[in-house]
Amino acid sequence: MGKEDQDAADAARVVAGDLDAFEGIVRRWQGRLVNLAWRFSRDRAIAEDMAQEAFVRAFRALHTFRGEAAFSTWLTAVALNSYRSRLRTGGPPLVGLDPTRVSAREHGALHGLEGRERDEAVRRAVLTLPARYREPMVLFYLHEMDLAETAGVLGIAEGTLKARLHRGRALLKRRCAALGLTGAAGEEA
Amino acid sequence: MDDIERALADDAIAPSSGFGIGVMDAVRRAAAEPPPIPFPWGRLVAGLCACGALAWAGTILAVQAGPNLLPAETLSYLAGATPGLGYAALAMLLSLAAARLPRFFASSDEW
Repeated sequence: MGKEDQDAADAARVVAGDLDAFEGIVRRWQGRLVNLAWRFSRDRAIAEDMAQEAFVRAFRALHTFRGEAAFSTWLTAVALNSYRSRLRTGGPPLVGLDPTRVSAREHGALHGLEGRERDEAVRRAVLTLPARYREPMVLFYLHEMDLAETAGVLGIAEGTLKARLHRGRALLKRRCAALGLTGAAGEEA
Repeated sequence: MDDIERALADDAIAPSSGFGIGVMDAVRRAAAEPPPIPFPWGRLVAGLCACGALAWAGTILAVQAGPNLLPAETLSYLAGATPGLGYAALAMLLSLAAARLPRFFASSDEW
């Protein structure tokens, strides 16, 4: 039995009243949902809290899953909605690793960061983008979903998604350059 | 793959060992909760219909009564208060604009 079939079967059992069947869904998808939350929050404790909330929301909404889209697409869309609500109240995280050193709007604030520190700062810079660019960037680049699945989760056409990815990358490059992440910024496409 | 894409790739964490158990506990708690009270759509529709009917009846009455609907003293009082009402409306509009503008600039794409 494939993963999708297992998910559909477990979902049907949960809807029929077998609560323990949800454990299989949690086991198969916990890594994906925790990592998606991590990519939006950059904080492990918050990410696990967000993922737990998303699983509870998915459990409550499981009767709405009709199998028209893949279970993965449905679950990711539910999680994304849950994360949006959560992040709306919390605001974006700090761009840099050292809050005493960094103000996101200070020109060249992150100049001199190297390797992993610089990569982390770039990932955090993604989170300062407006939501219409941030969500496609996180799903496609950080979460490594393909174009069709990302478009399905966001409920937009692939052409629109490509345009937002292009615009998001350009905006990110500008922000990286402004922050002094010159190695990561390069020339704008 | 450029520097940006390289920086964005290869970044994952593993859930804590007790994460799945915690989720199932939360799910069991959610399952034990009573179902939410449904929104009273029927009452809302009935209320809206009643409001609409009252507004319609009021309009018809006002049209039929014409200028005799309000006594002359009341009309002259309202006419005297009009400049004050105008200033109040202007102040409300300015307050609304003052509240909206910062949000507009904050949600702008560019820094």
